Amino acid sequence: LKKHKHLDFELNLIPFIDLLSVCICFLLLTAVWLNVGSMDVKQAIGGQAQAETKKQPTLWVHIVGSGQLNLELQDSSNVPAQYQKMSVKSTEFKTAVAQLKKLQPNLSLALIRPQAATIYEDIIDLMDNLKSIGLKDLGVVPL
Amino acid sequence: MMESVLLNTSVLRPKAHKAKKSIVADLLLTALIDAFSILVIFLLMNFSSTGEILFIGKGTELPKAHAVEPLERTLLVKVETEKIYVEDKEVALGQLVQRLVDARKNGQQETITLQADRRLKYDFISQIVQAANHAGISQIKFAVMAK
Repeated sequence: LKKHKHLDFELNLIPFIDLLSVCICFLLLTAVWLNVGSMDVKQAIGGQAQAETKKQPTLWVHIVGSGQLNLELQDSSNVPAQYQKMSVKSTEFKTAVAQLKKLQPNLSLALIRPQAATIYEDIIDLMDNLKSIGLKDLGVVPL
Repeated sequence: MMESVLLNTSVLRPKAHKAKKSIVADLLLTALIDAFSILVIFLLMNFSSTGEILFIGKGTELPKAHAVEPLERTLLVKVETEKIYVEDKEVALGQLVQRLVDARKNGQQETITLQADRRLKYDFISQIVQAANHAGISQIKFAVMAK
């Protein structure tokens, strides 16, 4: 007589649960919950003569205070003279710079000149706006 | 359907009083394993292999930004309660340039990471930026929280 083998079998799930529990505990303990990044700034340290420096369109952002910013575009060939110097509110800053970037697509350098009383967070906000528009090379002018 | 109250009596079912309830409870383990697996996958995806580079003090709040770059291990300059720390050692403002020059000589990169509270005034930050410039450090990474 042929004896049929029983096809049902049971997996022992307890080791799986043990392993997964250990994994979860380890990952929960070692998880980094804060997402910290950096805002990179390149400073000119004056090692090169001014005559040797290659001229490129530069946007100067002067933080005047009370949410007012003065923009000054230097060494630009495409932007009309009346737009090269303007005063904008911080809420209009992004639109104004985006328009300048449209007129001068190779504009990638911006220098920020804050005041002594300017809050650090406001400077980072400005940098963030400039980077999101496409101005990658940023600098901060010391007092 | 109603069950007779006499059904469990020993007269009608003599063995009924001997029948014991099984103590082993059948847990539905498959659902538990599913949930655990999802948790493990989620945690693995968020796992940072670089580890925590910065230790942020209790009173320090970093500024927030969208366009952030990943943090790299460089010389750390920290500002906490108007005190300056270079790699967790307190440094007076007057000695900062010398400390940064020494760090450069010791083969560390020409980049510093600046960790400061978001409410700090530029007056103070500027002194560190100036010190870095004097020490010949051209790249400054401002530590920020990704929005």
